[in-house]
Amino acid sequence: MRAFFKYAVTRFLICLLVIFIGVTITFVIPRLIPGANPAEVVIRRLQMAGTYLPPESVEKMKEALLKLYGLEGSLFQQYLRFWKEFLRGNLGPSFASFPTPVIKLIATSLPWTVGLLALTTVVSWLSGTILGGIAGFRKRGLFMKILEIFANAVRPIPYYILALLLLILFAYVLRLLPTGGAYQIGLSPSLSWKYISSVIKHGLLPALSLIILGIGGWFLNMRNLVSAVLQEDFVDFAFLMKLDESVIFRFYTMKAALPPQLTGLALQLGMIFNGTIITEIVFNYPGLGTLIYTAIMQSDYNLVMGVTLFSIVAVAFATFLIDISLPLIDPRVQYSGSSV
Amino acid sequence: MSRVRVFLTAVLVLAALLVFAQQEVLPGIARNEVLIIEDPSGRSTNPGRFNLWGGGVSSWSTGLQQLCLGTLWYIDPDEGIEGEPWINLLAAEPPIYNDDYTKMTVRLRKGIYWSDGVPFTADDVVFTVETLKAHPEMTWGAYMQVNVEKVYKTDDYTVVFELKKPNGRFHTIFTVRWAACYIMPKHIFEKVDDVVAFDFNPPVGTGPYVLKSYDPNGYWFLWELRSDWERSDLGVVYGVKPGAKYVLYKGIASPEKKVMDQMAHELDIIHDLPPESAIALYKSNPYCVTWFDGWPWAHPDPTLPSIIMNHEQYPYNMKEVRWALTLAIDIVQVALQAYNGCATISPIHIPPTGLYPKWYFDKIEPWLKEFTIKVGNKEFKPYDPEIPVKIANAVKYAFGYDVPQDPNEIKKMVGYGWWKYAPDVAEELLKSVGFTKKGGKWYRPDGKPWKIHILCEAATRSVMTRAAVAIAEQWRKFGIDADIEAVEPSMLWQRMNYGQDPDTVYWAWCIETWGGHPDLFWFLESWHSEYYRPTGQTVVAKNPMRYKSEKIDKVIEDLRKTDFFKEIDKIIELGLEYVKVCVEDMPIIPVFSYNVFTVCDGYYWTGYPTAKNPYTNPVPNWGNTRFMFIKIQPTGRK
Amino acid sequence: MGFLHPVFSAIRRLFKYDPRFRFAFIAIACLVVFAFLSIFSPYDPRSSYYAPISQPPSLKHIFGTNGRGQDLFWLLTFAMKNSLIFSLEVALLSRIIAIVVGITAGYKRGILDQILVLLCDSFIILPLFPLLVFLKLIMRQMSFSTLAIVLALFGWPWDARLIRSQVLSLRERVFTYSAIFSGRSLLSMIFSDYLPHILPITLATTVNNMLWSLGFEITLSILGLTPLDIPSMGTVTYWAIQQQAMVMGTWWWLAFPIGLLVLLFVALYFLFVSITDYINPKARIISR
Repeated sequence: MRAFFKYAVTRFLICLLVIFIGVTITFVIPRLIPGANPAEVVIRRLQMAGTYLPPESVEKMKEALLKLYGLEGSLFQQYLRFWKEFLRGNLGPSFASFPTPVIKLIATSLPWTVGLLALTTVVSWLSGTILGGIAGFRKRGLFMKILEIFANAVRPIPYYILALLLLILFAYVLRLLPTGGAYQIGLSPSLSWKYISSVIKHGLLPALSLIILGIGGWFLNMRNLVSAVLQEDFVDFAFLMKLDESVIFRFYTMKAALPPQLTGLALQLGMIFNGTIITEIVFNYPGLGTLIYTAIMQSDYNLVMGVTLFSIVAVAFATFLIDISLPLIDPRVQYSGSSV
Repeated sequence: MSRVRVFLTAVLVLAALLVFAQQEVLPGIARNEVLIIEDPSGRSTNPGRFNLWGGGVSSWSTGLQQLCLGTLWYIDPDEGIEGEPWINLLAAEPPIYNDDYTKMTVRLRKGIYWSDGVPFTADDVVFTVETLKAHPEMTWGAYMQVNVEKVYKTDDYTVVFELKKPNGRFHTIFTVRWAACYIMPKHIFEKVDDVVAFDFNPPVGTGPYVLKSYDPNGYWFLWELRSDWERSDLGVVYGVKPGAKYVLYKGIASPEKKVMDQMAHELDIIHDLPPESAIALYKSNPYCVTWFDGWPWAHPDPTLPSIIMNHEQYPYNMKEVRWALTLAIDIVQVALQAYNGCATISPIHIPPTGLYPKWYFDKIEPWLKEFTIKVGNKEFKPYDPEIPVKIANAVKYAFGYDVPQDPNEIKKMVGYGWWKYAPDVAEELLKSVGFTKKGGKWYRPDGKPWKIHILCEAATRSVMTRAAVAIAEQWRKFGIDADIEAVEPSMLWQRMNYGQDPDTVYWAWCIETWGGHPDLFWFLESWHSEYYRPTGQTVVAKNPMRYKSEKIDKVIEDLRKTDFFKEIDKIIELGLEYVKVCVEDMPIIPVFSYNVFTVCDGYYWTGYPTAKNPYTNPVPNWGNTRFMFIKIQPTGRK
Repeated sequence: MGFLHPVFSAIRRLFKYDPRFRFAFIAIACLVVFAFLSIFSPYDPRSSYYAPISQPPSLKHIFGTNGRGQDLFWLLTFAMKNSLIFSLEVALLSRIIAIVVGITAGYKRGILDQILVLLCDSFIILPLFPLLVFLKLIMRQMSFSTLAIVLALFGWPWDARLIRSQVLSLRERVFTYSAIFSGRSLLSMIFSDYLPHILPITLATTVNNMLWSLGFEITLSILGLTPLDIPSMGTVTYWAIQQQAMVMGTWWWLAFPIGLLVLLFVALYFLFVSITDYINPKARIISR
């Protein structure tokens, strides 16, 4: 138990270190883009939109904006200021949507991304893993062979096309599902059945497209893992001992093949904070994908940091959890820096 | 085991879908009461914020500037709702300047009420200007600080501005071209501590609609007609009730979706589409309404996409090089490839839109036909007035569209003419300044091979990408090592403003005009050498090519002295001067106007502006589309 | 070149006995030949509007023409070539890094392992899509080769961890200890004993990696962030979407590239599955 504790603490410290590195990189990189000063971006957006800003006013406005955003000082000074605010729980205001706090912007989109992606990740993982396990175990079944081919055939289709095809089929041709949005226009969020059913109905197509996209990968991975496990001696012994096939399948095969799959699941769950920009574009679905893309394009440093922060922390913790829980599942793995 | 489970799940899902089968657009609102419009800014990142003055509002065209906020004057890019492009909205008449343009008096319109019942008066205007003046970080703050010495009212409906220096165009800040400085409601903002941080939610305006609800995720905004619409600005000025009880602005990113939505009559006005989709939609929807009924369909905006090169970069400082590049472009091909031939071309540095053909193009055409450039000891007349007909024929051949026979008709639709496609003359021009051609490839006078990257916009405006690809291909054929680089619009503008990319030309625009008024001041002012900024410093406004010309300086100085309202002829005369200087120098290569494929659906609504009835600009994110709403009436279909 | 002989005989054996391998081999060979055909193309891949627009497949243009007046058949030969080279570059580079890091970390353990894991994790947590957008903004010109290098630098951590876990569990096995005690050199042990176990995972991850890099290339192309006038599977898709192929009914513009991609990946999958099964002798005999 002591070894485990020591190990867990080490891994946790590494996790924090990793987060620190990630945050620093995310802080520095947007500021490296030549000339992408948030004040200038705001001015330029106004000019591009056809607002008349005569020459002398432009200079003045730029100075005023820089002061307002708190962007004076060297890179290092800004960095220190950032950590000070961050440790107080303040992610700062968004520059493009000044002075709305970054947290507020993220809070509107976050539940949609997390809800949609968490659900679809788990569903596609479950179905993919179970089906993949069966396919790996029972190599002769025709149904499984067809599934195998189908899983492979669907994967290379560009996601934008796949999503659009589903949209055309279900929303325009069959007219069974809505064409976009998170819920019906005109409704306000509440706990009523009307609202909830609208959310479900509007989420079906995006979810379906994401599940189809993801299931192939899990299926094929599991199939390969099970194939590999079947080579093991202990499986041979199980067969020789004439154990029931379903028992062999569940306990000797699936359980042994699970660790890398579980790792994948944990990591994928961590990555849902990146959002899926194409799903959001095709289905008019709210989420972090478009938020972060627009933030990058607008040099909105604080918003970029805010969204990326969630992603970094989530993934770092996911890897941490994997690292400390896998030794418990796979007895062959030791504590001294083990697992996947 | 698993097979049965899969089958059962499928049955369940199907059953669930059938239960949910009915679709509604809006709960409790009939479809034929709502006008559904696309907002091209897409998803609003910060939908709960409506304080345009304080900044931080990602989209102004969610209905905010079209239906709610208003300002003193509007210049319509087309003919204007009563046949006159100049419109007095919150003001009762055009501004009155004193003799040396240091004082401007505005008489406001009486009888207009804010949507919350408070009357609109001079107090609101004075408050707006004083607040802006005190905060240079606000959108128009710096402008007010630089220009306004004092602002005060002389009675409840008269405002006087005392300016810091003579400025005959001070009023333009309150004149909508696409947007302008809107008037704040004093009774709301005066109660607020921090005018920049205040969200102004819900917004209160003088327009005929109020915000009913909006999507916290920023995808849609629903506006409802005021019950006291006759006290709104449109109501007081025109006395006509807007036809739509509700207006819904939606952000839709995917063009396929826009097409399918309109085919299902779920979207009334599409802002812009790639040419093929617009044309396909036009052909398959019998109720479709476009600016031109048939080729070329699109509405020409008063903006002029051009090839912009930095004159501080060698070899673009030589006008022979710039002219050679112009003559190496086959404009017929570019129009075909970029716009399926639906472009409105312009050989001069003025957008061929609105009333400009009448004011500038008609007058300059004889001079253009005679214009000669010297190549060695030969003379060459580069203007080709036959190009519009060539485009029409090419279009008919390649796409099979119906084109009119009358060359004058064609001229009205696609432009007056352009520069000849003359690669041989271009060759001689280049050789005369030291370029050499070896093995079919061009080498600069300093011996290096001539490479050009064309920087252009990426996914958002595909016609621009296509045009860049076409131009690059033609230059490659000519022997220049040309390719394109597509970037996001904001990146393009930024890089263009800094001008530091080597071997790069920019495919963008810097020339933008009123459309409804011949004054070129809007963009031309910043071409004056006093605003010149060298490479590496961001350009102040509209001179990214860093063009310096004494002749242009003189034109600008003369323009400054003209009266915006009384000296239209002088303004046009100076404008023609400008055109001639630019044709000589070719500082940038003007190509075509930015044509927008705004497609409307006549199923539920009628009265959209078209070329036959050009009472305003149909492109829905413009502030002047305000005037559409009193003309658009329901058809009565359910 | 002694080891080539068993490789050839293996290929012959697989071809004769495993229908999956046969299919895969032929399909991939055809696709490679298809890509190779680009040398003979009568059309310059960057030129456009030389053929009638949006013509369905015919004798003159086998795959039809697209909305930009290009012959789709010849265009796709270039697209296939560029995309294949691109994804192979990424896959190869990242495999090498992944294997080296994975084996070193798994075998050596201790501090070196911790450092390498830290390195891995630092790469894993960085969200790739925003980072790519940033790099594009900073670097301005992003050619396909640069993109390949960047993707390779991000494609290895995940697989390195997988390999590391495999090596960790292998390390504890009996045969490792017996090898160490009998004094075998580390490298020879790695090559002859570990590699057969690692190879299946590596091959599987290669397919994943190729798909992943192609998917990324396509996503970036759709947003217009790759060199758009050079044909690749991603840029062809970009133009098809830009010119609204789905709505316009020019289905062949999308169907053929997607069809080729599907063929490629199904074939790759079968190839690796059959090779994997071959390497594991038991699987050849017993198929349950």
